[in-house]
This record gives sequence, C-alpha cells and structure tokens, in this order.
Amino acid sequence: MKKLSGLIIAVLALSWTMGVFAQEVVVAEPGQEVDMVLMPKFLGILVFDQAHDGAVEAHEELGNTGELIFNAPTPENAIPGQIEIIESSITQGVDAIMISANDYEQLLPSTTSAIDEGITIVTWDSPVDPSGEALFIAQVDFSETGQVMADMALNLLGEDGGQFAILSATPDASNQNAWIASMEEVLAMDETYANLELVATVYGNDDPDDSYNEALGLVDTYPDLELIMAPTTVGIAAAAKAMQDEGLCDQVAVSGLGLPAEMQEFTEAGCAPEFALWSFTDLGYLTYYVSYLLATDAMVAEAGVTFEAGRMGTYTIEEDPGREGGLRVLMGPFSLYNEDNFDEWALMDDMEEPDMESTEESDG
Amino acid sequence: MNNSNLSKFLRWETLLLAILVISIIVNASISEFYFEPGNISNIFRLSIEKAIVVVVMAFVIINAEIDLSVASVMGLAASVLAFSYEAGHPLILGIGIALLAGLLCGLINGFFIAYLGIPSLVVTLAGLIMYRGAARILLEDRSVGDYPAWFTGLAQNEVLGPFPITIFIFILLLVIAFVILQYSTFGRYVYAIGNNLEGSEYAGINVKRVKMWIFVASALIATVAGILYAARLGNVRANAAEGFELDIITIVLLGGVSIFGGRGTMAGVALSLLLVLNLRNGMNLTNVNGNTQTSVIGLLLILSVLIPNIAQSVQTWWNRRNIGDKDKRLLAEEV
Repeated sequence: MKKLSGLIIAVLALSWTMGVFAQEVVVAEPGQEVDMVLMPKFLGILVFDQAHDGAVEAHEELGNTGELIFNAPTPENAIPGQIEIIESSITQGVDAIMISANDYEQLLPSTTSAIDEGITIVTWDSPVDPSGEALFIAQVDFSETGQVMADMALNLLGEDGGQFAILSATPDASNQNAWIASMEEVLAMDETYANLELVATVYGNDDPDDSYNEALGLVDTYPDLELIMAPTTVGIAAAAKAMQDEGLCDQVAVSGLGLPAEMQEFTEAGCAPEFALWSFTDLGYLTYYVSYLLATDAMVAEAGVTFEAGRMGTYTIEEDPGREGGLRVLMGPFSLYNEDNFDEWALMDDMEEPDMESTEESDG
Repeated sequence: MNNSNLSKFLRWETLLLAILVISIIVNASISEFYFEPGNISNIFRLSIEKAIVVVVMAFVIINAEIDLSVASVMGLAASVLAFSYEAGHPLILGIGIALLAGLLCGLINGFFIAYLGIPSLVVTLAGLIMYRGAARILLEDRSVGDYPAWFTGLAQNEVLGPFPITIFIFILLLVIAFVILQYSTFGRYVYAIGNNLEGSEYAGINVKRVKMWIFVASALIATVAGILYAARLGNVRANAAEGFELDIITIVLLGGVSIFGGRGTMAGVALSLLLVLNLRNGMNLTNVNGNTQTSVIGLLLILSVLIPNIAQSVQTWWNRRNIGDKDKRLLAEEV
C-alpha cells in the first residue's frame, strides 16, 4: 500500500513537473479553426494596415482554417462604430477579437459581454480597462516612450535646452496621453532635462489637415519654439510637412513617433532629424499569436506564462505596471531613426514596399 | 387619374418599403444570425439615441429649418450629468440639471431663430460649436464613469425579451410624434409654415411660437438621447455623440422629407430609419467595412433626391406628350 501511494505520488510529481515544463514555453498547435477579428482604431491608416499584414502572416503560418476579419469604423463614428463591430462579432460567434481601442472605458459594456460569451478579447496598440480584456499587447513600455521622447528632445535642443511643444492625436487618446504623462514625468524628475521647456500641448485629432494647422499655430504663438514633439505618426508627418512648406526647418525641428516610409523625405531635408517607432507588422503578428493561443485554450492569461510567438521568439505575460490589475505582453523595443542609420532603414523600407528608387538601383 | 396612380406608385414611401423588404430578405439570406432575437435587439439598441433624435428632427426639417446642434446638445447633456456626478451629487440631480441645460440650449436656439429671425443654419451651427465647447470645458479630457447600476441598466438591461427599455421609449416617442405631426393642429401648422412662411403668418398662425416649440423640443429630446447614450456606454467624455447630427439628418432626408420644408411624413422617416439600421446591421454581420457602409448610405441619399425628381420629369414629359397628341388631333379636325 505504501509502495503504491509512493508510486502515485511519484507519478503525480512527474506529471506535475511535466506540466510545469509544458507550461514553461507554450507553443501553438497549428491548423485549428479559430474565427478572429482584427479591429484597429480606424481604416485607411498605414500602420494599421501593417498590423493587418502581420496578422495575416501569422494566420497563414498557423494554418488557421477559420477566418481572419479586418474591420474598423470610420473616424466620425469611432466609438459607436467599434461597439457595433464588437456586438456583431458576438452575434456571429467569433472566437477572438483583437482591439486597438478608441476609448479606455466606453467599449467595456461590449467587451465584457463578449467575454461572457466566451470570446477572447486581446487589446493591442491601445488598451481598454483590464476588466474588459484578457490582456494587452504593449508595443513598448509606456514609460520608455516618455524616456525616448525626452532623450530625443534633449538631443535636438542640446544642453542649453529651449522651448518645445507637443502635438498629440486626440485629447482622449489613452496611449498618447500616457506617453505624454510619462515624458512630463521624466522631464520633471531628472535635472538633465531641466532646460527643456514644454510650452504647450495641442491636438491635431490624427487628421493631417488639423495637425498641419495646429503645427503652424504653435509656430505663430511661440516665436521662440525650437521643437515640435508629436507622439503620433499622423501628427509628426503633418508637422514636418508644415515646417518644410513654410521653410522653417532650420528654426523648428520635428520629432516624435513616425513611420520611416512617410518620414524619409523630411529627415533628408533636415526637418525631422530624429524620430522613433516600433514595427506595427510585428505588433499585429504578436497579437495574432497571443490571441490564437488564448482562443485555442493552449494558454491562459496569467502573469508568468511564457509562450512562443513564431519568428519573434518567446515572450512572457506580466503584470502591467501602468494599469492596476492589468496584464500585458511587452513587445518592445524602440527603433531610433536618424541620418546616421539612414541607409539601414531606407533599405528596410525598400524591402517592405519596393519603390521606384530601388528598381532603378537594381537596374543599374 | 392615370397620373395620380403613377405618382402614388412612385411615392418615396412605397419605394422605401420595397427597398426595406429587399434588404431584410438579403440580410436574412446572407447571414444566419440576422433573425436571432439578440441581433434584432442590436439593430435598434446600438443606434437608439440617433433614432430618438431622428423623430424630432423630422419636425424641424418639415418646418423648413435645420438643427445642427443636436449632437452637441447630446454631448453637453451627458457631460453635465457626468460633471455633477463626479462632484459627488446624486445622479438623479445630474439628470435634472442636464435636462435644464438642454432646455436652455433649446431656448437659445429658438429665441434667435423664431424671434430674431436669424437662419437656423447659422444659429444651430453656432450651437454645434458652443455646446460642444461647453462640454469640453466641463470635462476637459477626463472620462467619468461608475454610474449606479439602475442607470446603466436603462440602456443595457433586457426588460422584455432581449430588448432594453430604451427601445420602448423610442417606440412611444415615435407614436406620439406620428399622432402630433399627422393628426393635430400643431402638425398642420408645421407643414403650413414649412410650405409657405408668409402665407402662414397671414393666415394667423403664431409662427414664432411654433418654431420656438420645435427647437425647444428638439433640444430636450436630444438631451434625453444624450443621457441614454451615457447610460449605454456607462461612461462619458466630452466628445460623446460627436458627429451624430449628420447621420440623423441623413435618415430624415432619406425618409422623403424635403430639405426645403413642407413635405414628408413620419411614416417615411420611420421606414428610412428601419432601412438604414437594417442595412448597417446587415453590412456589419457580413463584415463590410465602415467606409463602404458610409458610401452605401450616401448613395441612397443621392437616390432619394434623384428619384422623385426623375419621377417628376417623367410625368411632365408624359403630360406634354398627351397634350401634344391632343393638339395634333385638334389640328387635324380643323384641316
């Protein structure tokens, strides 16, 4: 009897250990049928199309026999439109919804009812309150964003510092607000940045025209302005265009988060000497992997769970330091783009979207 | 006789009904989920605030006016309620203050339009900007939530089948509006003023008072819609309901209400509302993207203007041809 119980314990212990091993790195089992919805904030924005590309890549790689639906509202219908898409996805009985949220709280009634129906809710790019999601795929650490923006500002303004302004997306964009807050924190905490003076924060609503006009407005209002920091890809390109059109590039530099493909001409012209970003293709790819793993019950959303996300390697779910009770998978890190590494990122762009120049080169 | 039959057949309401039936059949055939009770509820629930304001916008436009400020009034109402709740007052007080704020917006709009004679396009455009501005002053970039369960339950809890109480509020409002517009003296005044303002004044209608009532009603109903919107989302930001005015006006015009006033029926507006909601739902169920959805609705709106005009041209042409034949016959007899 004793021997038997000993054996049982040994078997239990072994299976437990194996279980732990199995849990150590969760690997997706390809070929399952999982209907998934990828919902960015809006349609027709390059970065979200790139995220879609990444998700499609993972979808094909995993041989998912279900559907991958890509849908988003129009800007004038941002929040009600996202709610409509979530609700109709519930009706259609999809298995997972991957959301870049237009609001931190207002989608909650819909996402919680989706969770009640057994649907996996994963947020990416911009999260909702932890009560309405399984976890959040964070592109970069929000506090790191503040640090990177502060460093770029210091780099561009120099030790002597000077006046700079922030051109953001909308007043309610939760990620932009978090990044700006973390930048302000860095500026306030560290003496190194003491001479950087933030004179204004304005909002271009992620609209090229609005952002363009807001950038010009800043220059008019603050004659001593030396830098516009735009933590939005729409804003930074519009601001750089505005400075270029007005011939102000030698007075006011533009920096922030920008897309290499859109920023190339402005960096060449010296209007946007340095900016940063992460890969949205990777973000879409990683988001898809996590959602697939959760929806197929291969993994549970708990801190400490480690999994493999295809070509991107292993990641671990952790507690989100910025959101109490929230979980996140941190993608990271930032890529800095400037004249020095111009060749590298120009090359990278050519690979993503071959343009005229690269064709000419290969001809020659 | 022939002509009136033709025009009856080409009445916009008949066409709307036909398109609606087709859209329902198409929806049902392309999506197995369409007739699920939960989906039927979704059709209305997810746009209920717009639907409520559509009913009163019909009065405004038949009266040959426009109210561009409704969505901003909705946002202001929600923001006032949120601001008061955030300050620690009971929610019911916030609802009261929101209604007062809505009343004030209506009085301002009505006073400038009815008594000072400034075009409603200008006054309510100013209102659109001003009331939204006031909402932004109150809430800045904050969001206010955590309302009591009875409040969010208004728009979220199912009271009968899968339907929340907001849907019944809408139906009640629609019935009342139908009776007032089509069967009451006030309704006749609304049409008369929309058709011929000066004539109505000479006929002894108190035009100013009718217009005042309409704009006060418009703002008050928009306030109620704004409060219900807050209940549905469970959370308020200053940008609540931003841009809704265009959808609302689109539905009214699609319902056959003339932008020049005097023409249109509540039945047409109700059909148009059903059609737009059904189309949106069908397109959502089949994952048609937002840009395409907007284009389809836009196309319908153009058709709603084109088809009655084409019908009229056809009729004129028909009449002329008949007259032409008669003339020929007369000529032949004379010879």
